[in-house]
Amino acid sequence: MNTLSKSLQDNQATLQKLLPSEDILYYSFKTENGIACLIAYADGVVNKELLGELVARPLSHLNLPINMQNGRTMYEINKKSTSQKDNDGNANKKQSVPKNPLEDTDIAELIKTTLLFPELKTITSFQDGQMEILDGNSLLLVDGVDTGFIVGAKFLPVRAVMEPPTDVTVKGPREGFIEDVKVNMSLLRKRLKTPNLRMETLRVGKQSYTAVTLCWLDGVADEDLKTQIKNKLNEIQIDNVADSSYIAAILSPRKRSVFHTVGTTEKPDLFAAKLSEGRIGILVDGSPIALTLPYILTEDLQSSEDYFVSPFMATVTRLLRCIALLVAILLPAFYVSTQLFKMQLLPLGLTLTIASSIRNLPLSPSLEMFVVLLLLEILKEASIRMPKYVGMSLSVVGALVLGETAVSAGFLSTPAIIIVAFSGICLYTVPNFVETGSILRWLFLLVAGSIGPFGIVLFIAFLLYYLISADAFGTPLLAPFSPLIATDLRDNFVKYNMFSLNKRPVFLNSGNKTRLRTQKTQK
Amino acid sequence: MQISHFLPTKPVPKPLLKNREINARQIAFAAAFLLPAGKLLEVPSILAKHAGGDLLLPAVLHFLIQILVILGVLYAASKSKSPLLERLKSALGKMIYPIYALYALYFFLAAVLPLLDAEKFVYATYFDTAPTLFSFGVFFLFSAFVCTKGIKAVGRCADLCLFLFLIPFLALSFMAITETDFSHLLPFFGTKLSKSLTAFSRTTPHFSDAVLLLPLIANLRYEENDGVKIVSGYGCGALLTLFFLAVFYALFGSLARREHYAFTKIGQYFPALSVVGRIDLLFVYFLSVVLLFYTCLPLQYVTYSICAICKTERKTLTAALLNFALLIFVLFTNRHYNAIYSLISGKLAPVFWLFANLLPLFTLCLPKKTKNGQKLQNEGTMYALNLEKEDNKVKKSSRKGV
Repeated sequence: MNTLSKSLQDNQATLQKLLPSEDILYYSFKTENGIACLIAYADGVVNKELLGELVARPLSHLNLPINMQNGRTMYEINKKSTSQKDNDGNANKKQSVPKNPLEDTDIAELIKTTLLFPELKTITSFQDGQMEILDGNSLLLVDGVDTGFIVGAKFLPVRAVMEPPTDVTVKGPREGFIEDVKVNMSLLRKRLKTPNLRMETLRVGKQSYTAVTLCWLDGVADEDLKTQIKNKLNEIQIDNVADSSYIAAILSPRKRSVFHTVGTTEKPDLFAAKLSEGRIGILVDGSPIALTLPYILTEDLQSSEDYFVSPFMATVTRLLRCIALLVAILLPAFYVSTQLFKMQLLPLGLTLTIASSIRNLPLSPSLEMFVVLLLLEILKEASIRMPKYVGMSLSVVGALVLGETAVSAGFLSTPAIIIVAFSGICLYTVPNFVETGSILRWLFLLVAGSIGPFGIVLFIAFLLYYLISADAFGTPLLAPFSPLIATDLRDNFVKYNMFSLNKRPVFLNSGNKTRLRTQKTQK
Repeated sequence: MQISHFLPTKPVPKPLLKNREINARQIAFAAAFLLPAGKLLEVPSILAKHAGGDLLLPAVLHFLIQILVILGVLYAASKSKSPLLERLKSALGKMIYPIYALYALYFFLAAVLPLLDAEKFVYATYFDTAPTLFSFGVFFLFSAFVCTKGIKAVGRCADLCLFLFLIPFLALSFMAITETDFSHLLPFFGTKLSKSLTAFSRTTPHFSDAVLLLPLIANLRYEENDGVKIVSGYGCGALLTLFFLAVFYALFGSLARREHYAFTKIGQYFPALSVVGRIDLLFVYFLSVVLLFYTCLPLQYVTYSICAICKTERKTLTAALLNFALLIFVLFTNRHYNAIYSLISGKLAPVFWLFANLLPLFTLCLPKKTKNGQKLQNEGTMYALNLEKEDNKVKKSSRKGV
């Protein structure tokens, strides 16, 4: 049975069959004239107080004009209903009282107007009702009515909007997305108060039925890209979408790539700015990480704060991040390759210092670096997973005891520990690149230990060639460097002032090119 | 990103940034920043060996000839909006396959010298101690990967070379220039003309640039001013090379003939290096990324040619086989480096003349249209035609002021 019937008993029985879980509750009550009503909802995700006040109470005072077997006439029922409306002062006094029983649609309309709920919609199939209940909404069924009423009394336990841990700013907005997609949508709407901001929610996940909201600015975002993304989202056949990273992985055109091809952010201000540039955003229910497309590699080197400080400062910090990233990835490999294959690269004084510290070391340089790097990764992983209270002890044990004793025991050398520690710190200057950077660091270490500086150079060349031939949704990952787009270089490693950035990035293929118009540019 | 939100008023037609195989700017960049990389290793010492202080003379002569060839090919390309390759296919029919085969052989031959240069350069620059032969063997993995990528990747690579080439080139030149004595280049024409001509002849394979640009130009959908861009790009590359040669000779003088792998040597006398270590090597390594791209270029062309002959899209297999063959070649011929070098740059120089300078000029004889008029068979060309239509639409609508 797919559609709702007029019999409440039948409907309830079907629902109970469809949703046998214990957390699905049914609340029965009657209208003033004794017509049975039923609210089905999932326990714990519904605001029961609101449901009682705005749904059950008004209905319990309503005389529904339904011809039941208890012998009441339609005239009497309608009269009561009209007089009740008169008392509320909302009724149209000139309206004549219908003598005949109301049509089903009119009854549904009457119930809708009686419920004082802003989020209300009607359904006719069990499937829709079932999905809505599971989504946290409530389904109201009335005896004698073959329409169900979805009441948006969802009340999910959500955490407060707070500063995201991965993208902290000193100057600038501190709000961060949370796990609830509705809150995230409201945070976005707060920043883009334009009718051009469009949001479209799709359901992804056969079991999780997760809300995935596509956001874009109409007339600014690339329509083709939007269609492509939407089609790809609609094609997804997956059981559970636990996080936006699932969607990112699905959308990614290169499934086995070390580099991510979808941008991520936890900050609504950044998300809004990216949408207004012409990107398309994706919010996923249950994830505080929003996705943006198309993505270019240098995006990760930028921070929202770059736009709140002077362009000079922004340029300096971007270059600093870039250098830090290179140091993080290449320094351990470079150290190993110089020791093994090309000592000339270091100044003599430094060579002698290193030579004295690695004397009598039982491990080869590459193995030593491998061990220290492994220690760093283990410490990092443990410090993330372990309880807060043990964290302090771990720092002491990990950093002081382990590091210090390993050096004094002659197991590891001081330069190796310094290099790995420095590399570890540098990597966190670009938080979105940590996973990729970490993998690349291992790979570079491997090639440096095998064939020295030539291995490093060859691997750099390989990565560059890989990146220049990598496109994600038609946008090259290395844009605007390759293919070269001169105007887009204004907001890359070097940040121009706001007035020079009056055009939207070319690589985004936006329908509207101008984003800033001053008197000067108008002339 | 930009925080200010200027929201749209009227939608305008989309720009056509995407998905062209290659454009004139990229070819110009390839000519300016990719091709010179091959001339910074052995060429300066060969030129210095034969021409002495007049080493610029044969180089200039080479560049002039190459510019003439490029101009000829560009003129042929400019005669029609359909790419040269399509017209060639249409005009020659099945006869295109022997030409592909000949050029595959030629590019294979052309790949040998850069490969030998790169191998020796790697052993000399990247290792303090004698490395194993297999140390360079890894290059062929990279090369095989590069060979699987299409013309579009070559174009983008050229874009990237702007930064990868210019930054280390300028840094190394700056390091060298403080120690140079340009009087070494004087007097002009101080060397016998015959010696300069020997230098010219010996460096023919290294300067056969037009043929390396030929596959790129052949895929170009020619537009107005493309020729100017490409020739300017090549001119820029030529000037950078000449500048490098001048600095190199000004630095080493009569010793220049013995200074192999020129760009690894020119920065080493910079005074600050004694304090900070050989940071010039960092720039050398930086520049050698471009050198690796350059070394792969002829191999890419061989792969394309073989795939075209076999009518296959399976570049991976072709690239793997080709690079495996080259690995074996390098391993077995390693001890005969000098003999192979002198064979290719000496006796086989006419082959380079024929394929690099003469045969490309036959494109001038191509008809303006394909056999079926403007109707082209290839999908890529159809795509290009569609783009052209879109271009026209954009132009029309922008004229209307939309």
